[in-house]
Amino acid sequence: MAVSGFEGFEKRLELHFSGDDPKNVGSLGLGLRLLDFESLQQVLHAVQCTVVSAVANQHFDAYVLSESSLFVYPTKIIIKTCGTTQLLKSIPPLLRLASLDRGLTLVSCRYTRGNFIFPSAQPFPYTNFHNEVVYLEESLPATLCYRKANVMPSKTPSHAWHVFTASTQNTTCRVGEEDNDGGLFTLEICMTELDRNLARNFFLRPSAKYDGDSAGKEMTAITGISEINPRALICDFAFDPCGYSMNGIDGDRHSTIHVTPEDGYSYASFECVGSVYDDRDDVVRVLKKVVQIFRPATMSVSTTCASHEVWTRVTGALEPLGLKCRSCAVDEFPAAGNVVYQTFVDHRSTENNNK
Amino acid sequence: MSEEKVIGCHSVAAWTEHLEKSHVSKKLIVVDFTATWCGPCRFIAPIFAELARKNPEVTFLKVDVDELKTVSEEWGVEAMPTFLFLKEGKVVDKVVGAKKDELQLKVAKHATVDEPATAGDPATASA
Repeated sequence: MAVSGFEGFEKRLELHFSGDDPKNVGSLGLGLRLLDFESLQQVLHAVQCTVVSAVANQHFDAYVLSESSLFVYPTKIIIKTCGTTQLLKSIPPLLRLASLDRGLTLVSCRYTRGNFIFPSAQPFPYTNFHNEVVYLEESLPATLCYRKANVMPSKTPSHAWHVFTASTQNTTCRVGEEDNDGGLFTLEICMTELDRNLARNFFLRPSAKYDGDSAGKEMTAITGISEINPRALICDFAFDPCGYSMNGIDGDRHSTIHVTPEDGYSYASFECVGSVYDDRDDVVRVLKKVVQIFRPATMSVSTTCASHEVWTRVTGALEPLGLKCRSCAVDEFPAAGNVVYQTFVDHRSTENNNK
Repeated sequence: MSEEKVIGCHSVAAWTEHLEKSHVSKKLIVVDFTATWCGPCRFIAPIFAELARKNPEVTFLKVDVDELKTVSEEWGVEAMPTFLFLKEGKVVDKVVGAKKDELQLKVAKHATVDEPATAGDPATASA
């Protein structure tokens, strides 16, 4: 294990807003998408990252950042940042912009992260989850009075899922999404100790001139990432000398992958949105593809707002691939609903480690 | 076309006129299909304008997908921004998304080459 290196594990923040103006909310509302780009840049500056590439469709805007991703929906924002970024510093300016520019108020907030590989390299408040929760509590308006924080454990000491949610309503359903059909769930996957040969795909090939867009496109194609969801339009970027990020847009659903391929602290994350009304095998297909692309020794899968049977399919998909379920924790959170946190270990790597 | 900036096409007639002119002049046209509600379009707009200033030999057009819905549908625009590179009315290249590097490289490539590149560079062809 390297003494220090790049922190792959992301911090993730999801904010939901509501308002009365039909220009902002409802099926035709544009809300947060109308925030001017300079304002967004200021928010990202506070977090310590920048936009490297972006794409949009009718439903939402997707940005690849120097450290992970930003998604802007009319009444929802998701920011995911890795390294030593200051993610929670985005909350005060975002709340201010949403309120002053768009007349939108916050109705729910969800903050999640795994265990950092290099915890001592993190700045305050990310050195201790308790401090992060205090920071969150102080940043949120008092109207979000239903709050809960928990560190969901696993049997692997290096893995734990940190969750904080807050909501204006004492409901486990997502507030502000009543007009959607519901049934949506989010999968957040963290993978460590990637297969070395596969991780090499995420290093730039020696070439005359570096171009993050074309190199990213090439990685998307050769690794099979483009096949995870063939319907999705992919916005990808390769970093110099290694590392990769992509956002997928498919209708109103996003997906995202971030890879830190360096040996000793290799890490990849995958996130996507699904619906319980989808073909039951969709999740299985997606998980299989993701595992085949990275072949991680350890993997955690966190499923949010799912009906009970979605996460049972996760185990069913991963065990035939040699990933054994080591732990499963379930907890209920305001606005987020059930969060199920499962960890998996590759059989073969466990054998190797025990030798 | 002495104007060195991005030209907005606000009617189908204006769009058709630009296309027809390029048949005669054989100049490269780069079209930015954009939307007022698209954040990534606002991110790339100053870069596109800068390219337009630096490449007076190329025609840079802007089409709002809501304003000229039929045009954007006809040209298969689904994501914003989409940049189409046209020569003599034919698409010679395309950039989907606000991709700064790719856009700059492709403008440089097609602005100087007279024959439409068919094979493309290996990175683009493999994607």
